[in-house]
Amino acid sequence: MGGVLPPAERRSSALVAVYVILSLLLLMVGERLPQASLRGIGAFMFAPFDRVVMVMDRVGAAWVENQELHERLTALSLENAVLRRSGEENRELREELGLPGYRNPTLRPVEILSLTGEPTPAAATLSAGSKAGLHLGDVVVTSAGLVGRISELYATQSRAALLSDPSVSVACEVESTGVLGVVRFTLSPRPALMLTSVPYADTVRVGQRVLTSGMSRRYPRGIAVGRVVKVGQDPDGLTQSVVLEPAARFTRLRHVFVIPGPAGAEGQP
Amino acid sequence: MKGLGALATALIAVLLLRSTALANLAAQGIVIDVLAFATVAWALRRGAGWGATFGFALGLFADLDTAHWLGRHALILSLLGYVVGRLSGTLVQESPRTQFVLLVVATAAHLTWTAAFELGGFHAWQVMAMRVLTGSVATAFLGALVLSIIRRLGGRTILGHADLQSGKTI
Repeated sequence: MGGVLPPAERRSSALVAVYVILSLLLLMVGERLPQASLRGIGAFMFAPFDRVVMVMDRVGAAWVENQELHERLTALSLENAVLRRSGEENRELREELGLPGYRNPTLRPVEILSLTGEPTPAAATLSAGSKAGLHLGDVVVTSAGLVGRISELYATQSRAALLSDPSVSVACEVESTGVLGVVRFTLSPRPALMLTSVPYADTVRVGQRVLTSGMSRRYPRGIAVGRVVKVGQDPDGLTQSVVLEPAARFTRLRHVFVIPGPAGAEGQP
Repeated sequence: MKGLGALATALIAVLLLRSTALANLAAQGIVIDVLAFATVAWALRRGAGWGATFGFALGLFADLDTAHWLGRHALILSLLGYVVGRLSGTLVQESPRTQFVLLVVATAAHLTWTAAFELGGFHAWQVMAMRVLTGSVATAFLGALVLSIIRRLGGRTILGHADLQSGKTI
């Protein structure tokens, strides 16, 4: 056969014969070779290329995410414009009706030094006190919602009673329906945040949000307090037993905001 | 030297493609056999010697990725490279139909050989047959399409032997 084929084909035939023999040898004795080391060398050689591919993959993902964020930004900008117009309209209508207007509260960031109470924290020590302009009764919130109010005040620190303290009560309303009630934490029959004093005739549904009503002097209106998770009937049959899921997670507090209340409002409900 | 550089670049590109984009596709059940495609394309362009060398080198690197059977890919791909390289002198290589048939046969041979190792015999032949069939057709269709697009974009033949008269050998 060697004499029949041209030289180039003889070379390629010899070459493939070598490759076949090598492959068969590898198939037979390959298990005995240090494959881990060989793979390590391969991984080392390909590491720079893998890195380039990974960077390209990330750039691609960032590009897609950027487009999505642009779309979201545009949608939010349009929604914001509508809300601003609605807000302006609302302000004018309230003026015409002689109702007090909403104010944007001043937020003062404060660090949580410690939480006390088991299993649910009932009080928190804050890193600011009267020297920072805090007052007794000031409202404590997070971006999620209401946390509690300042119950003890010192020069550089203060103590806040959380919503999970049974002695704290907040005048609230159910969003959109305006059903009024008082939120307080009860320990029996099991620990839960409850919306109490809700007349039996009022309709409350699971999933509705509960906000501060502004009926008490300290808590500005519209702060999220929780969401209705269960609606039942009190044993007396006159009011409803509404269980809430708190808007703020009391066990994960690290930083909060204090909304300074009006001077001389200490001890007000 | 230029040939070796091109071979190394093609090897890296194929192996990276196999371990990134095509691995994601394979996870969704779409097997594109880029090893067989690259070996066939290389052998069509460079002939039997380079085809066998490319197939062997590509197969060896692919074998290093797997846990067992060093030499499994290397054996079949070097043989495929050689056979396709030998045929390249007698085929109308720029014909999409020729490329499609070559890719179907080469991919089927490669997938059957490797699947026999992975499945540990022919007892799961139905799974293997389905995998070989879908993989061969998908690879051949996509491969012929890629070669056709490259040829149209480049405006010239990409498979060097196509300039030769049919039936003539080097």
